[in-house]
Amino acid sequence: MALYNDGVGMAPSDLDHEEWEMIQDIKVLLPGFEKHRGNLIPILQSIQEKHSYLASTAMEMVATHLSITPSEVFGVATFYNQFRFHPPGKHQIKVCLGTACHVAGGDIILENFERKLGIKDGETTPDREYSVERVACVGCCALAPVAVVDENVQGHMQPSKVEGLFVQFQIEREREEREKAEREASE
Amino acid sequence: MPKIIIDDREIEVPEGTKVIEAAEQLGIMIPRFCYHPALGSVGACRVCAVKFLEGPFKGVQMSCMIDAKDGMIVSTNDEEAVEFRRNIIEWLMLNHPHDCPVCDEGGHCLLQDMTVSGGHGMRRYLGLKRTYRDQYLGPLVQHEMNRCIHCYRCSRFYQEFAGYFDLGVMQSANRTYFGRFKDGILESPFTGNLSDICPTGVYTDRPSRFFGRRWDYQRSPSLCINCSLGCHTTVSARYRQVVRQEARYSEAVNGYFICDRGRHGFHYARTETRPWQALIEGREVPTEGAVRAARERLAEIVSSGGPRSVACLGSGRSSLETQAMLGQLCQKKGWQGPSYFMDKSLTGKAKTAVSRLDPELAVSLRELEGSDAIVVVGADPINEAPMLALAMRQAQRRGGKIAVIDPRPIFLPFDFNHLPVRLDEINLYLSALVKAAVDPELIVDAGKDAIEFYQEAPSLEIVAASLQEKASILAQELRAGQRVVIVCGTQIVRETTPALAADHAKFLRAAKKQAGLFYLLPQANSFGAALLASSEVSFLEIIQGVEKGEIKGLIVAENDPFYSFHDRQRLELAIEKLDLLVVLDCIESTAVKKANVFLPTSTLYEAGGIFINQEGRVQAAPRAYLGGISIAQIGGGDHPPRVYGSDIPGGELRAAYQFLSQIGNGDQIEDDDPTRRSLLRWIADNIPPLAEIPPFDELSENGMRISSSNDTSPQFAVNWQEEKEKGKGSEGPLEIILTDWTFGTEELSSFSPPLMKLERKPYASMHTDDAARLGLGHGDKAKIKLDEGNLEVDVCIEENMASGVVILPRHRLLEWQKIKSLPKFVRFEEIEKVSG
Repeated sequence: MALYNDGVGMAPSDLDHEEWEMIQDIKVLLPGFEKHRGNLIPILQSIQEKHSYLASTAMEMVATHLSITPSEVFGVATFYNQFRFHPPGKHQIKVCLGTACHVAGGDIILENFERKLGIKDGETTPDREYSVERVACVGCCALAPVAVVDENVQGHMQPSKVEGLFVQFQIEREREEREKAEREASE
Repeated sequence: MPKIIIDDREIEVPEGTKVIEAAEQLGIMIPRFCYHPALGSVGACRVCAVKFLEGPFKGVQMSCMIDAKDGMIVSTNDEEAVEFRRNIIEWLMLNHPHDCPVCDEGGHCLLQDMTVSGGHGMRRYLGLKRTYRDQYLGPLVQHEMNRCIHCYRCSRFYQEFAGYFDLGVMQSANRTYFGRFKDGILESPFTGNLSDICPTGVYTDRPSRFFGRRWDYQRSPSLCINCSLGCHTTVSARYRQVVRQEARYSEAVNGYFICDRGRHGFHYARTETRPWQALIEGREVPTEGAVRAARERLAEIVSSGGPRSVACLGSGRSSLETQAMLGQLCQKKGWQGPSYFMDKSLTGKAKTAVSRLDPELAVSLRELEGSDAIVVVGADPINEAPMLALAMRQAQRRGGKIAVIDPRPIFLPFDFNHLPVRLDEINLYLSALVKAAVDPELIVDAGKDAIEFYQEAPSLEIVAASLQEKASILAQELRAGQRVVIVCGTQIVRETTPALAADHAKFLRAAKKQAGLFYLLPQANSFGAALLASSEVSFLEIIQGVEKGEIKGLIVAENDPFYSFHDRQRLELAIEKLDLLVVLDCIESTAVKKANVFLPTSTLYEAGGIFINQEGRVQAAPRAYLGGISIAQIGGGDHPPRVYGSDIPGGELRAAYQFLSQIGNGDQIEDDDPTRRSLLRWIADNIPPLAEIPPFDELSENGMRISSSNDTSPQFAVNWQEEKEKGKGSEGPLEIILTDWTFGTEELSSFSPPLMKLERKPYASMHTDDAARLGLGHGDKAKIKLDEGNLEVDVCIEENMASGVVILPRHRLLEWQKIKSLPKFVRFEEIEKVSG
């Protein structure tokens, strides 16, 4: 009996749609790799490349393909920073904890984001709006502490600026909804 | 050999010895968390730092990472090193919770000891601690990851040493996590060792949680009697019950570890259903009355039917004392027996294993780890004797090659080659392999017998086409091996196999190889049983005697034929026909319920005893505690009883041999020792291999290996024609093979509540081809038609087993006693699928 739920006999609606797609993709992808444990990282990389994260079902499937235990796959995958285990949010927040930012209190900024969103670093909010991760130096130490929100570098971060950012997102979202409503009304 | 000076004392150690080991030999215990003699060094914890004053290294270095070299001068108490170690401990303690009062490890925690002895009594760090989520790891091990100091001992033991990979290291750096992919029962049967080796309380023994501190326990050395290997354990008892069992280091047998069956197999001694009171026809009576009743009724039977109308049945799980007392009684009184085995075939196999175990060939479990080629014949290590699998894994890690010739679907936690053949083919395959592995030129001066044996032995041609390739690789590996060990089981194999295994080991020795021989026996003291057993009478003959009306009285000492005899119906009829059934036992069994007179005996923990393991090692376990019904049971919880009396409840227990002596000799036994002493004298006088046996308390730590071989048994006497004839033709009926599982089939350990949770539901294993012919699918229910009704069992289809056999576990939840006879064959028509 397979350890994982490979979606056989299940309608796509039973699973998260994304995970369903990932499973179907992996089924196609795995036969292309030789059953050799040296292929573990390349397989994980190509899954992540396409789906931008590794679901636990995906890792169990890889384990079965390579005849190793899921614990080994998970052990290797969690060792490296390059793999993520949660789908990225619409807005990606990266908080720098490099030397300069650390000295300037980067961990306080990270904690502010985490508390505001109710998630830990490396995780994504359940509505898939935000994800938070820590990074080591984004190259503008003079602006420490720094956070990179989507593509925008936010220098000299402060807890009050964290609040400000979310107010901005809120205004943005309200504007979009208003425009959408107006468009629908005009049609 | 390098000479090294540690703390002004010089010592000479072999090349490659680490400084930490050299210091240990001088009696200097350098602190350590990650270093473990069985696992080696990794240099992860940094707490074994010492200062190197002279030699190739200078300054503070890790003593576990540096080989001792000439000219080294090392100081373990140099101020700089002490300071370094103190800082390391403080650093490790940063994230460690202050939960020692509620932690089960407290009291025997290495981290606690080091923290206290390092002088780190005050916490300076005020920040937040790192925390983790704990996992459920099954009924045996409790996980508490916050306590971890990242020494890697657990993952190194679990993955490298034991060969299981479902527990390991996750994440990296400050977040390093030791656990599984997700919650679940650990797959390895060696998980209890995690609690032994963890230097702090990440893994603790789950069944004995919150029961006491180590200093509360009466701790004493003991032996494991859940298989024939005789591993060393330490028993912890409190309030008249065994609470915990841990591995005890043994140079000769188990090393540092034991398996979970042995660790948690002691619960039979403390179950609430254990019979404490003597019974006559089911009524509770004083012990003395029951003994008198047994003696008088036996005397009546003897006076009317003569001494041959009484028979004795012992078992392989009794101590040597009890077994010998049965032997003594039979000798003195002329009673039939003693018999310790269910049928003559098993008696014969055990006797062969004992008489052919040449001291030159016998290897201990630890010696087996050093072999470079192992051939396993008719044995399933992980299920029959788990620690054997662990020893074989060590041999394999050192480059040893392993071959298994067995019909069952064998799993071992390492790479090996499996030749799945039927029982009738095992002998042929073993011979073919050995013959192909031996250089004919080497045996010219090996003696006439060996040469003839070589010439007549079948060659690789007899190997089935599908196995040819595997067999020739195996033969090459065997040929390359210098230290070859043949491991031979005695449970399922044909009667000729144990002798043949010995012949082959002898033959390999003649061919200039350092060959060894390692038998597995059915039970902990089957070796003693084989030495004492009467070769005319097995239990089957006793049953026949009862049926004929010749035997009227039966004494059963620590055996439950209802558990181990393969024909339940016949047994029940025979027992009804008896005039007197006297049962002595310490567990609640069907035999106890059926007994006319029952006497409650003490267990190994309450009486101590001598056991001889499968390699002929005589080992003694002293008494661990006095016995009696535990306080937990009397008080209905862990509260002491509210009504007080001056006697110990359940304190009338005696060792089975004492009761037997009272029944047979009418002794009034006040003290334990005189009986035991006279019994040991009788043993020395009557069993030649045990002539040198020392008094009970003078047996050394590692016991005494006896030489039990005798030259009278025929050697190299194989009828190859017959063997070849038997090995032919696979189109016949299916043979039912009764087998052991790690959990759920061994009599004593099946009383253990935590192990019950690990038992699998019994199922029959069948080869893909046979199942296809029967139209059975994986997980289907099959009905096997037997004379005594049908046996319904789930089917598990396996690729890696022999065709032509059905494997059934001797599981307590399966009525395998319906099979009536052994060996048992069923036709294909007699197995069908149960629909629905």
